[in-house]
Amino acid sequence: MSLLRYCIRRIFFALPILFGITLVTFILFHLVGGDPAFLIAGKNASLERVASIRSELGLDRSLLQQYISFVKQTVTFDWGRSWSSQERVMDMFWRGLGPSLSLALPAFLISFLISLGIALLSSYYRGQCFDRGVLIACLALMSFSYLVYIILFQYLFAYKMGLFPITGWDPSWSGRWQYLILPWMISVTVSIGPGVLIYRTAILDESLQGYVRTARAKGLKDTAVYSQHILKNALVPILTIVIMQMPLMITGSLLLESFFGIPGVGGLLIQAIQNADFPVIKAMTVIGSIFYMLFNLLSDLVLTAVDPRIELK
Amino acid sequence: MKVLGILVVIMVSLVSCTKKSQVNDDTIYGVIDANIKGLDPIQAADNYMIKAVSQIYEGLYHYHYLKRPLQLEPQLAESLPTISPDGLTYTIKIKKGVYFQDHEAFPARKGRELTAHDFIYSWKRLADASHKATGWWVFDGRIQGLNEWRQELSQGKVNYDSPISGLTAKDKYTLEIKLTKAFPLFEIMLALPPTFAVAREVVEKTGNEFLNHPVGTGPFLLKEWIRNSKIVLEANPNYRTELYPNEGEDVDRELSRLEDAGKKLPLAKKVVIQIMPERQPMWLSFARGELDHAIIPKDNYSQVFNGKTLREDIRKKGIQILNQPRPDVTFIGINMEHPILGKNKYLRQAMAMAINNQISIDTFYNGRGIPAQSPLPPGFRGYKKSYKKPYDFDLQRAQSYMIKAGFPDGKGLPTFRFELTNASSWSRQMGEFLQQQWAQIGIKIKLIPNNWPQFDKKLKSRQAEIFFMAWTADYPDSENFLQLFFSKNISPGPNNFNFVNRDYDQMYEKMSLLSPSPERLALIRKMVQLVNEEVPAIFLLHRVFRLPYQGWLRNYKEYPGINDFYQYLRIDLERKSKLKPKL
Amino acid sequence: MKSSVLKTHPSLNRLCHNPVALFSALMISLYLALALFSALGWIATDFQTIANDRSYQPPSWEYWFGTDLFGRNVLSRAIHATQTALLVGLFSTTLATVLGLFFGSLAGYFGGRTDDLVVWLYTTIDSIPYILLVSAFAFMLGQGILNLLIALGLTSWIQLCRLVRSEFMKHKAQDYVQAAKALGAGSRRQIFRHILPNVFHIALIQFSLIFVNAIKIEVILSYLGLGVEPGTPSWGMMIDDAKLELHQGVWWNLGAATFFMFFLILSVNLLNDSLRDALDPKWHRPTSSKN
Repeated sequence: MSLLRYCIRRIFFALPILFGITLVTFILFHLVGGDPAFLIAGKNASLERVASIRSELGLDRSLLQQYISFVKQTVTFDWGRSWSSQERVMDMFWRGLGPSLSLALPAFLISFLISLGIALLSSYYRGQCFDRGVLIACLALMSFSYLVYIILFQYLFAYKMGLFPITGWDPSWSGRWQYLILPWMISVTVSIGPGVLIYRTAILDESLQGYVRTARAKGLKDTAVYSQHILKNALVPILTIVIMQMPLMITGSLLLESFFGIPGVGGLLIQAIQNADFPVIKAMTVIGSIFYMLFNLLSDLVLTAVDPRIELK
Repeated sequence: MKVLGILVVIMVSLVSCTKKSQVNDDTIYGVIDANIKGLDPIQAADNYMIKAVSQIYEGLYHYHYLKRPLQLEPQLAESLPTISPDGLTYTIKIKKGVYFQDHEAFPARKGRELTAHDFIYSWKRLADASHKATGWWVFDGRIQGLNEWRQELSQGKVNYDSPISGLTAKDKYTLEIKLTKAFPLFEIMLALPPTFAVAREVVEKTGNEFLNHPVGTGPFLLKEWIRNSKIVLEANPNYRTELYPNEGEDVDRELSRLEDAGKKLPLAKKVVIQIMPERQPMWLSFARGELDHAIIPKDNYSQVFNGKTLREDIRKKGIQILNQPRPDVTFIGINMEHPILGKNKYLRQAMAMAINNQISIDTFYNGRGIPAQSPLPPGFRGYKKSYKKPYDFDLQRAQSYMIKAGFPDGKGLPTFRFELTNASSWSRQMGEFLQQQWAQIGIKIKLIPNNWPQFDKKLKSRQAEIFFMAWTADYPDSENFLQLFFSKNISPGPNNFNFVNRDYDQMYEKMSLLSPSPERLALIRKMVQLVNEEVPAIFLLHRVFRLPYQGWLRNYKEYPGINDFYQYLRIDLERKSKLKPKL
Repeated sequence: MKSSVLKTHPSLNRLCHNPVALFSALMISLYLALALFSALGWIATDFQTIANDRSYQPPSWEYWFGTDLFGRNVLSRAIHATQTALLVGLFSTTLATVLGLFFGSLAGYFGGRTDDLVVWLYTTIDSIPYILLVSAFAFMLGQGILNLLIALGLTSWIQLCRLVRSEFMKHKAQDYVQAAKALGAGSRRQIFRHILPNVFHIALIQFSLIFVNAIKIEVILSYLGLGVEPGTPSWGMMIDDAKLELHQGVWWNLGAATFFMFFLILSVNLLNDSLRDALDPKWHRPTSSKN
C-alpha cells in the first residue's frame, strides 16, 4: 500500500475523530458551563433581556440545531466572534499562538535534550551508581506537585532573589524572554523526571533485544553497539513519544500561562471557560485536536519509515 | 546540565541589566485583578471594565476626587442639570471645545468636537438591543420614547437617525432629557460608564472591532492593549484644561494630597495597567516595586499586616496603606423559593443568630470591617449607627428558635447546599467557618465551589439554596441596596433571594419617586426593619479595604465610583529612587 | 510456609533482597497504616478541632507542623489527608490501568476496525487538553472523592493504551509471535501468553505514573476548586491554601502536605522500579553485559 493512499485514508479517518471531538466538546461544555445569557445580561438582568440575548446567541434553538451549526462552523473554520469580547475567534487564536509557542517550544526542546542526554548516559551505565542516582533523582523530582514548583519558584527566584520579573509580558521578541525564563525553568524541572524515565526505558528495551546480543557476541565494542544499534532503534519509540507531545505545546501550559500572565492560547481557554464563552472554547478545542491528529499521522509515518516491519493499514 | 546552568547565568545577568533603568521612570504602574473583556462603555458592567473604560471615556458627570461622601460634579457637562418642577425634564449644558481623541475615522485627523448629539447617539447605542449592552438597566424604562425606539429598532422600523421624544439637542451644546416618571436619582445615572460619550464615526468605522479601539474625550488614550497582560495608556495631548482639585478632606491635607492643587490633569504621562488575575504574582510584583498600588480584594491583609498593624518589614519599605470603607455589604443569601428555608421564618432567624459575626470579621477580614446591621453601609441615607439588627449572634436563642421552627437540634432537616462564589481558598475557608457555626444548632451544609459562570447560573435560575456574596453599590444611594428585595427584581434580576413581599413592594415603589426627605428616610427605615425581620439574607459586614501603595505614589485615593483616578496620580521620582532599591 | 512460597518464586525472592524495595514497601505500609488508623480514629483525632485563638501557630513540640487558619493541627490534617490520597490514587489508577490494557491490547492485536474504533475513542478524548477534560468531568460528576476518582480514572488511561497498542503492533510483527501464529496459537493465547507478558512492564511503569499523576492532579484540581469536598483534609487543599500564606511566613501547611506527598509518591515510584526490575524476566538474563 502506498504512502499516499495511507495518508489519504488517515485523513478520511480524521473526520470521525473530528466528529467525536465536536460531540464531546459540545456535550461537556453545554452541560457543565455557566449560562452565557445570564452572564451577558449582568447583575441587573431582567427575564426579557435574558430571553432576547438567548435568541440572539441562538441558545433558544434545540440542542440538535445548535450542534449542527457548531459542526458547520468547524467545517468552514469560522467560529465567528467571541461572546464576551466580540473579537474574531481566529484572530484570538493567532494572537495567542506566538506567546504559547515561545513558552512551550524552548522549554520542550531544552527538556528533551537534557532528558535524552541523561537517559543515554544512565542506560549506558545501567545498574551502576550513576544510573541509580539518576533514577532516584528523577523520582524525587517527580514527587513534588506542579503547583508547589510554581509557588516555590515564583517565590524564591522572582520574589526573594529578584532574578526575574514576577509576571508580565512584552510582545517584542527582545523583551519577552525575560518573562519566560522562570516558566521555562519550571516546565523543564517538571518534565525532566518523566522524560528521562521514559527515554531510559525505551533505550534499555532495545539494549535487551536479541540483535544486540548478537552484535556483542560478534565482539563489537559497547560504544559501537550503542551508537550503531541501540540508539538507532530506540529512536522509534522515542520519536513517537516526542511527536505525540508536540500538539500539547499549544494548550499544555494552562497553569503556567495563568500564573505568569502570558497571553497565550491556554490563558484564552481558561478565560473562555470563566466567561462561558462557547465560541472560543469550541474553536480552541477543535483546533487543538486538528493539530493533534496531524502529529498523530506524522508519528505513524515516522514509525513506518524507520521500522519497515510495521505494516501500514 | 552544565549548559543549562551557563544559560541560566547568562540570562539572569541580562535580565538584571535591563532592570536597572527603571528607577527613573515616572510611569504609573497600576493593576486590575481580572481579565478585561473589552473597552466599550455600554458593556462596562464589572468593576474591572469600568476602571479600564473610565480612563479613556467620560460622561456628563463624575465624582469629586477627594471629597467623601461622594459628591457629584460636572465632567463633560458644564454644570449640574436644570430640572423642571415636575421632575421630568432635565436640561444639561455641555462644555464647549471638548475634542475626541484622534482616530482615522475623523476627516481632519485631529479629533472632533463633542456635541449634544454625541450623547444622543451614545445612548441610542446603549438602547440598541442588538448590542446586548450590560449597562441598559441604567436607562431601561426611564426616558420617554427610548424603550419604544429600542423595540422598533429591533423590528427594523426605525434607525439611528429617527428622533426620540425624550432625547433632544436644543442646540449644539444643550441636551434635553424627558423622563417617563420622576426619578430623583437620574443625574447619578449620568455618571455611570454606560452613559459615556462615544463618537459615531469611530463606531461605524471600526464596527465589531470597536471595543478594541476606544476613542474618548478622556485624559488618557489607549496606546497598547495586550489582552490578558496589560493596558498601556498615554496622556491625551489634546485634553482640555482640567485642574487637580484644591479642596478635600482634612486627611487629604495631612497626607499632602493637595500639593498638586491647580495643576493640569493628567499628572502622569503614561500609565501601565497590569492585568493580574492571580493573587500571588500581583502581591509579589507589588512587593518588588513593579506595581505602584495593589488590590487585595479578598481582604487578605495578612500579607501586609501583623494582626492589625502594618508589618515591620513592609513599613520599612515605605509602603503606605489607603483605608477604603466600601459602599458594600456582604451577606448570606437564602433562596425564599426553597420549600423549607423559604417557608420557615424561625429557621432563617435561627440561622442568623448562629453566626458569630465578630469571629468571621476577625478571621477573614483581619478585624477590618463594620458589622452589618442592615444592607445599608455607613454614609448611605437611612444608615443609623445606633440601629442593631433584631437577630444577631445569640446561640441559646438560636437553639430555642430551632425548636420553634420545628427542627430541634436540626432533627428532620436535610443537608443544605451552600454555593461558594469561587474556588479560592479564602471562600472555601469562609464556607468551612459557616459550616462550623451552623453545626452548633444542628444545621448541616454541603459546600459547593463554583466558578463565576456556574454560580451565576445557579443564582439566576433560582437553583442556589444558600449562598454567600457581596453587593457593591452601583451608585451612592440606598435605593441601590433596597432594590435587592423588590419583587420585580427577582432572579435573573438582582433579587436573588426571590423575596416577594407586598408591603415591601409598596414602600419601595413609593420611595423611588421621592426626593431625599424625612418621609423617604422613614420609609427606608421601615423597609430595612421588614427585611431584617424576614431574613431573606443574613447581613455580615461592610468591608474596609486596606489598599497598599508605594511610598512614591502621590495622591492615591481610589474609591468605588471614582473610576477615573489615574489622572490624579503622580510618581515622586526622588522618593522612588530612594525607596525602590530597598525593595 | 509463607517464606517457602516466596523462595520458590525467583522474582519475588529477588525483590525480598532488594533493600530499596523493602524500604519503599515499608514506607507504603506505613502510609496504609496511617490511613487506616486515622480512619479508625486511633490517631490524629484532633484534625477537626477548631481553636480560633491559636490560628497559624508555628511548629512546636505540641504541633509538629503548626496550626492552620482555624487553629487546627496541621500534622493531623496531613495524616488524615493520606486517606484521601490513597483512595484517589489507588482506585483511579486501577480503573485507568484496566481500561488502558484492555483497549490497548485489543487495538494493537486485532488492528483493522477494532483498532480504528479504539484509536477513534482515545484520539477524541486525548485531543482535548487534559486539565480541561478532567475539570469538565469533575464538574459534570460533581464534588466528592468517588466522583473525583472516576473522573481521573476515565481520563488517565490514554497514554497506557497508546503504548500498549504500539508495543503490540511491534511485537506482533516480530518473529516469535509470527512463529507462534504459524504453530497455530489462537489469538487469546497469543495475546495472553506471548505478547502481554512482554508489554506488562509498560503497564507497571504506567501504573506508577498514573498513580503519581492522580495524586498530583488532585492538587491542581483543588487549585481550580474541583478537588474533594471542602472540609475534607487533602494535601491539594493544603497546598492551595499555602499559596498566599507563604508570604506571611506560614510555610508549614505547604511543608506538611509536600512532605507527606513526597515520600508517598517517591516510595510508590521506587517500589515500582524495583518490581519492574524483579518481574521483567528479560532484564536478568546473564547476557546482560554490565554485571
